[in-house]
Amino acid sequence: MGISYRVHGEAQERAWPLSRLPLLIGEAEWAEIAAGVAQRAQLMEAVLADVYGPGRLTAEGLLPAAAVTGSPDYLRPLAGVKPPGGRWLNLYGVDIGRGPDGRWWALGDRAQAPSGVGYALENRLVMSRAFPALAREMNVARLAPFFRAFRAGLAAAAERSQPRICLLTPGPWSETYFEQTYLARYLGFLLVEGDDLIEQDGRVHVRTIAGLKRADVIWRRVDGDFVDPLELNGGSRLGVPGLVSAIRNGAVVVANMPGAGLIESRALLGFLPQIARRMLGEDLRMPHIATWWCGQEDARGDVLARFDQLALAPAFGAAGVGEPGGPVLPAEIAPAERERLRAQVSARGADFVGQEVVSLSTTPVWVDGKLAPRPFVLRVYAAATADGWTVMPGGFCRISDEPDARAVRMGSGVRSADVWVLSDAPVAMETLLPSSENVAIRRLLGNLPSRAADNLFWYGRYLERCEATARLVRVLVARTMEADLGSGGMSETLGRLKNLLVAWGAAPRPEKGAPAPDALTAAQAALFSPGQYGSARELVQRARHAASVIRERLSVDAWRLVRDLDGQAQGAPAETLAGAHDTADRMLRILAALAGLAQENTNHVAGWRFLDMGRRVERGINTCRFARVFADDVATADDLDILLDLIDSQITYRSRYVIGMALAPVRDMCLLDPFNPRSVGFQIARLSEHLAQLPTLIEDGLFEEPRRLVARLQADAQSANAEEIDARLILAYEQRLMSLADAVAARYFLQRPGKSARRAPSSLG
Amino acid sequence: MRRVLYDIRHLTAYDYASTVSSARCVLRLKPRDAAGQRCRAHGVAVKPQPRRRQPGVDFFGNAVESILIDAPHGALSIEARSIVEVSRPARPSSAGESVERVAAAALRERALAPDSPAHYLYASPLVAPVEAVTAYARNSLPTSRDALEGARELMARIRADFDYEPEATDVATPLTEAFAARRGVCQDFAHIMIAGLRGVGVPARYVSGYIRTIPPPGEKRLDGADATHAWVDVWCGETAGWRGLDPTNAIEAGADHIELAVGRDFSDVSPVYGVILGAGEQKLEVAVDVVPIEG
Repeated sequence: MGISYRVHGEAQERAWPLSRLPLLIGEAEWAEIAAGVAQRAQLMEAVLADVYGPGRLTAEGLLPAAAVTGSPDYLRPLAGVKPPGGRWLNLYGVDIGRGPDGRWWALGDRAQAPSGVGYALENRLVMSRAFPALAREMNVARLAPFFRAFRAGLAAAAERSQPRICLLTPGPWSETYFEQTYLARYLGFLLVEGDDLIEQDGRVHVRTIAGLKRADVIWRRVDGDFVDPLELNGGSRLGVPGLVSAIRNGAVVVANMPGAGLIESRALLGFLPQIARRMLGEDLRMPHIATWWCGQEDARGDVLARFDQLALAPAFGAAGVGEPGGPVLPAEIAPAERERLRAQVSARGADFVGQEVVSLSTTPVWVDGKLAPRPFVLRVYAAATADGWTVMPGGFCRISDEPDARAVRMGSGVRSADVWVLSDAPVAMETLLPSSENVAIRRLLGNLPSRAADNLFWYGRYLERCEATARLVRVLVARTMEADLGSGGMSETLGRLKNLLVAWGAAPRPEKGAPAPDALTAAQAALFSPGQYGSARELVQRARHAASVIRERLSVDAWRLVRDLDGQAQGAPAETLAGAHDTADRMLRILAALAGLAQENTNHVAGWRFLDMGRRVERGINTCRFARVFADDVATADDLDILLDLIDSQITYRSRYVIGMALAPVRDMCLLDPFNPRSVGFQIARLSEHLAQLPTLIEDGLFEEPRRLVARLQADAQSANAEEIDARLILAYEQRLMSLADAVAARYFLQRPGKSARRAPSSLG
Repeated sequence: MRRVLYDIRHLTAYDYASTVSSARCVLRLKPRDAAGQRCRAHGVAVKPQPRRRQPGVDFFGNAVESILIDAPHGALSIEARSIVEVSRPARPSSAGESVERVAAAALRERALAPDSPAHYLYASPLVAPVEAVTAYARNSLPTSRDALEGARELMARIRADFDYEPEATDVATPLTEAFAARRGVCQDFAHIMIAGLRGVGVPARYVSGYIRTIPPPGEKRLDGADATHAWVDVWCGETAGWRGLDPTNAIEAGADHIELAVGRDFSDVSPVYGVILGAGEQKLEVAVDVVPIEG
């Protein structure tokens, strides 16, 4: 059991093991926690509205201005901006821990783009699958209503009644990308990257295959400072130039507002009790760790006096417990380090806070086959709704691998646990299915973003190209083994096969004058070589990369198959012809399963059309290449025989023609036959169908470029007869298919030949 | 009090190797109306014609203009013309407050307004306090010394210790590198001085602008030979307020200095900043003329 997690910069995902034992919290205890969290969320909203607005807290002396301005998330371009939708915070998170006396403490606030909410959901799904009866019998509170409230809260903030809600992701390299794709799919949001969005005429739009479509709400998982390279961090490539101006214009709801990360500063903590009394007229229901901001002279003096009893932490910035730049215990670091820290606190106290060291209570986990106590931290979430704050009953629990129970020593956690809030009464069954609301039936979900179309198309092309490589290898290996057994010399034809693999980029080009590689060497390179751009291994990698960007659109089964395929290509190279044959065979079976899934388990809407077009265009081009080599004007019977193998048409051919191999019938079957799913003509017909179903930008009755090209190509293929075909015509078909692919890219995909942000260097004096 | 009227031309021209399909730029080219200077007339000509031009004011009170060009173009030129009147009164040469008291006052500050010293105490995108720079500054700014006197000495030391070398650094050079090499241009000196002042707790901000250059005797001023300039504003306590110090020339900002914009560092005040959609290299040409017409 476990969830996927990526350590920054790592290409492979890691499993974050899920503890078999959920953290159990009783209903009454939870009610107290939830009230404390909701109050804190309300307080933070008030702080943000004041700091970016009238500034009463600082003017009245409840909060020093310098305790605000030190935060890298205090984004000055947002000062004075009225948040569209009326809120700075839509989703608030807080890390809490339980003290040895059973009291819960707030350890740190999260408002930048709180992560973990998707992990909490996934943990729950895994646990309820593993212990279905237990969860029901123990009356575990459900998570789905929380997500519904969150979604409704976002939708209610928008201007339009049927808003388009986007989840803005930093992309597949983000450490929580998996969580983001998971949430986008679960909540029905459009997963977008910065490039997918554009600000135009004061509004934000998604670039789709049907042109620009308005984005009403953006749930951002990109840090606030990175959302707009024009007004915020100019080095950002993750944002949307002009987004801040659209916010100012009131035209797009961004959740949480850029700049909300400000409230994560530890410098604020010490001032919160008095702020709560001033803004809410209430005392804080949940205490937080006692914290002193060393920007105040008295506090600095106290902290320096009790230096070794406290934890020292940066006053600003988000580095959490256990992270580099996070809190340290002066008493436990090297003396030289300790003196340096002390000097820094004396000189620039404003950069530091001192915090009381608190201990956490533990939860049992399995360690080496028995139960052991380990400290844990729980992240709890609150979502803003029209009726106030809704707190998720449960949360994301991270359990330390160290027995040390001091909160400062709690690492980022090595395992996670589901959190069960137990009710005394049975819990109503509920999922995201709306119950009483009226649901409008929809068969098409919005418009496909151009980037998704692009990646689906290339995912299809790479898979198809991989299939062609595997087919070439399988035929080469099988025929070589036959030839070795003395069933005939096909050496010239086999030579052509090898040359094709070389031209394909799948096998290394031999030195000038050197003989072609032997079949095993060529097959090994074509399947396993990481350096050959046309090898199955490289092609699977590319397919996998394209798939990772559109992961929310692929089924779990498809993703697993792609991983299996990758596993085949990453394996140790086969050492015999038979071994290579086996691998190629297994790859073809996985590819067939993927093709089947794509046809039978994918909604036949625009996304599927691009995936299938990618396949079709690639197969058409590859088949032309096969035909140019093995069905040219001087093709031998051996050549034609191989070609039929490559296009999987031996059986059909033999049942249709008893005369044996002849050029015209093979060419017809390979290029024109509209009933043969491997023929070029068949691919063209499918491409034509797909393009006819896609949206047009202008309703002027004229064909757009891709449609025009395919109509002509189809007319030519339909009206041609086998006798007219010659090498020149096959080449022309191949080139026209390539032009078609270019036209599809130009019309539907993002045009980004290198977007770059530049600060003009001036001639500085 | 000297009063000078300037006619300023500031041209920024890009030549792109391949066509650029769209460009969004933020311009900070209008001289500030601030203590000691008034912008009497101002205009910016942009070629090609932008589809949208939107004037505004940024957080720091600088005039900004956002422009959007969405037609394909191979070159972009932005030419600003300003008539500015400068007359800065002479002010006392000491702050009347020690470094320690200035630092403490900044931390007690209650305002979040743009001029509030609280904004200029911490690390900003291009200026992070660095121990070595702080130690360098501390020699001139011991806690009990008058803040302005200390800052003036720091300015003079930077001028004396650092070589002015236009080729040594570019806009992207981190200040630690320029500090270690003891050379750079006005931007590097301003960033180093800001880092040093902030390091000892004295608020400091970046000023971008122009400086009048006096041609060598007997020679005529060359067209376009002037440059954009940068210096430092130091906060010297509630009474003395902000004071401009120019570490490149080791002088206080006076009648020869024309302010364009202020911010935490260069990243807040870049005169022309843009995002373009296009591939390939670009050639940049900047020409500045600062011509006194009166005074």
